[in-house]
Amino acid sequence: MRKHRAKIILIVGAVLLSLYLLYPTYQDYEYQQTLNQLSEEDSLAFIEEHEASIRDARARRIKLGLDLQGGMRVVLEVNVLKLIEDLAKNKDATFDEILTAVKGEAQRSEESPVLILRRSFEEHQIRMSRYYGSLRDDNDRIFAFLEDESQKAIDRGMEIVRNRVDQYGVSEPSIQKLGANRIIVELPGVTKEAEVRRLLQGTARLEFKLLKEPELVYRVMDAIDKAVVELTTDSTDTSLVASLPDDTTAIDTPEGELTPEEFAKKHPFFSVALINPDQFPGDAVVAEENKDKIRRMLEREEVQRVTPNDFQFVWSAKPKVFDDTRYFMLYAVKRTPELTGGVIVNARAQIDPSFNQPIVTMEMNSEGAREWARITGANVNKRIAIVLDNAVFSDPVVRNKIIGGNSQIEGLDDLDEARLLEIVLKAGALPAPVEIIEQRSVGPSLGEDSIRSGLFSAGLATLLTILFMVFYYRAGGMVADLALVFCLLFLLAVLAAFQGTLTLPGIAGIILTLAIAVDANVLIYERVREEIATGKTLRAAIDAGYDKAFSAIFDTNLTTFITGVILYQFGTGPVQGFALTLMIGIASSMFSAVFITRVIFNILADKYTTGIQFG
Amino acid sequence: MRILGKTTINFMATRRSWYIVSAVVILAGLVSLFMKGVNYGIDFLGGTELVVRFDQAVDIGKVRSAMTGVGFESAEIKTFGSDRDILIRTPSIETEEGVAVGDILQQGLRDSFSGNQFTVQKEDKIGPKIGAELRRDAIYAVAASLIAIWLYIGFRFRFVYGIGAVAALFHDVLITLGIISIFDGVAGLNLEISQNMIAAFLTLVGLSVNDSVVIFDRIRENQKIFKTMNLADLMNKSINEMLSRTIITSGTIFIVLMVLMIFGGEVNRGFAFTLLIGIITGTYSSVYTASAVALDWTLRGKAQGRMVK
Repeated sequence: MRKHRAKIILIVGAVLLSLYLLYPTYQDYEYQQTLNQLSEEDSLAFIEEHEASIRDARARRIKLGLDLQGGMRVVLEVNVLKLIEDLAKNKDATFDEILTAVKGEAQRSEESPVLILRRSFEEHQIRMSRYYGSLRDDNDRIFAFLEDESQKAIDRGMEIVRNRVDQYGVSEPSIQKLGANRIIVELPGVTKEAEVRRLLQGTARLEFKLLKEPELVYRVMDAIDKAVVELTTDSTDTSLVASLPDDTTAIDTPEGELTPEEFAKKHPFFSVALINPDQFPGDAVVAEENKDKIRRMLEREEVQRVTPNDFQFVWSAKPKVFDDTRYFMLYAVKRTPELTGGVIVNARAQIDPSFNQPIVTMEMNSEGAREWARITGANVNKRIAIVLDNAVFSDPVVRNKIIGGNSQIEGLDDLDEARLLEIVLKAGALPAPVEIIEQRSVGPSLGEDSIRSGLFSAGLATLLTILFMVFYYRAGGMVADLALVFCLLFLLAVLAAFQGTLTLPGIAGIILTLAIAVDANVLIYERVREEIATGKTLRAAIDAGYDKAFSAIFDTNLTTFITGVILYQFGTGPVQGFALTLMIGIASSMFSAVFITRVIFNILADKYTTGIQFG
Repeated sequence: MRILGKTTINFMATRRSWYIVSAVVILAGLVSLFMKGVNYGIDFLGGTELVVRFDQAVDIGKVRSAMTGVGFESAEIKTFGSDRDILIRTPSIETEEGVAVGDILQQGLRDSFSGNQFTVQKEDKIGPKIGAELRRDAIYAVAASLIAIWLYIGFRFRFVYGIGAVAALFHDVLITLGIISIFDGVAGLNLEISQNMIAAFLTLVGLSVNDSVVIFDRIRENQKIFKTMNLADLMNKSINEMLSRTIITSGTIFIVLMVLMIFGGEVNRGFAFTLLIGIITGTYSSVYTASAVALDWTLRGKAQGRMVK
């Protein structure tokens, strides 16, 4: 025994350390069990009493992946190109053309969009200073400026996403940056998809915009109508030809004798964008099915040519329902906002007591309040649209000058929507829009099923392996089984220590580790049998078996380890969980199946010089 | 206890016939790959995938008409484990108005199955860009592991053994891929190519090379002892000596994987099936591909008068 003392201390130490590392996982499980049995009141009291220790156990337990505990994973991509587009000045057709090409390339390429933009400009031999910075700036300088701006937008975007998630109230969310312009958000236990989407994706760009005078709006719409007529008669392009609205009564038709078909042909715009100067002065009403058509018309170059520069059409955020048909309002506003959401310092969702409707009230900082007072004072009896992410939520008429910097957003569906809006307004606007490019969610019941089937198959596989080893190798098998148990213990402890995440493929990795650990012992024992067959003493045979089997064990484990490393590099989420358990498993199986079993055999061989059976 | 005693099978003598067997199986797989292909999951194609669990069993036909009702007549619909669990998949993730497809699909189910409540088990949405990236990463991963293993074996043993091991890997990957293509569509196997499947293939690569390495290790050892023995005899001797180990280890892994396939849940089923095929071909190829190719390569080198030992 004495000569093995250092090794024994090492093994016992490793086991004790593993147990210590795994204790929080056990503790957390116990707490969950207790909490599940208690009634609601009792459990609250229990949580209060043990708060620190519960939190501590939760922080240090083995983390379960979203596939096991349920939840959502969202990958966001910051739309840097939109930011670049917004930053440009003197935009013209050439710029739009280049940008469209760059957008297409960025869809396919891994390169930074700013780099693609620069290359594209250089290919066209256009100096970037035409659109950015001052005329004297060279491309390098502007490139650096744009890179810096997009980097800032991504960092700020990440911070805002974090703020929003924090305020939304999820336990243990994870927010990480991925590559150049992506953000991974993991929300355990959350499955309300629509809500999360709105929470993360809304840029929350709040703008207060003046509506245009009705007479001017009608003049512009008239010009647009004429422009579209020309377009449809000039070309064979039928995409703009209006289909007839179901309900044409709202149209104020001066040529009342026309049949609907003739009217649609003569006034393609007005036949779908209905106007009603008495009820909605200056606005158009568009049935939901015609929204895209109007959008396409407004995007046409010929139409934009007849639209004044500071003129902008925006849609209402929510449809209105008349006679079972959903209609969107089309508002004409001044392009430059009077005020933006940057001045908002606080927001609160509440029910408007007078109308019993959900609203969000906002407070502005002193500078914003001053501006707001000036704007409202100068525009009494005019309408100001409250625009959030390019959709109009309300268009109140200013009754008198508003002092104190208060405003509110109306027209929300329910209090939940109001709360989300409160969060995004408080967290601030995203500097550039973000797009959800990947979203995965797992319901809690599927997670429970996965845990159950994962644990059951792991347990059964372990049991079968253990039985087989004892059956086949007798005493040797028992030692190998002991090593197997140690191997699992070390694997889980290392997982807990490194804050690794256990996923369902991760459990498959553990099961595979069992086989790898057993293989090491099989290699050794088969060798020991061979050595015994050549007439060696038990002691010598064991030594020779271990020594000669080692190179094969080492090489096989290393090749599997290499594939594990590669898998970890290229995989995501659950697959990384598999690679992780596989790598840890290989390392711990080397320790337990090779090192620990040898120490045990050395001790046993000292005591029983002939008695150990290798089957 | 002993499954096998001492054996003296002349493996290398029959290697040419086994080349033909391998070639036939690979060819059958390739034909299936070209005719039928494999079933890519949404990880690689992009799209929306929804798995719901109903309170009572539902009829697939009725789910299909519900999907047609909301404008997704081309949606792929199948059961996922039991007839209460339904998987629905469409290629797009958003409609033109920016409404998530998943919401529309759920609305369609709610409308058609008002008396039969369901819960969403899983919902994945993968954008086309991510799909393309995952496809590329998967190819990189497999290529990188093949190169890494070739380099490692070439460095630890001899160059020819690296060739043999990599030939065996190609053999195993091709056969497994072919068999997956042939078995695709068998109810309950869930053999679509997903990220998990790539993990299975890489693990297969790791395990397959294990068997080859163990045999190469013994050949290397025997070469030092029996310096005058010719390579074919040396290989036969080494393979026979390791045969008992090979069968026990492969057998244990086989049992473990069977457990995982039967009880490991829907997600792990295709993964375990792939590895099961991989273990069978991996064990076979360590003898009839890895060693055999190394032998033939060496013999050819000698015939050409090059000094390749």
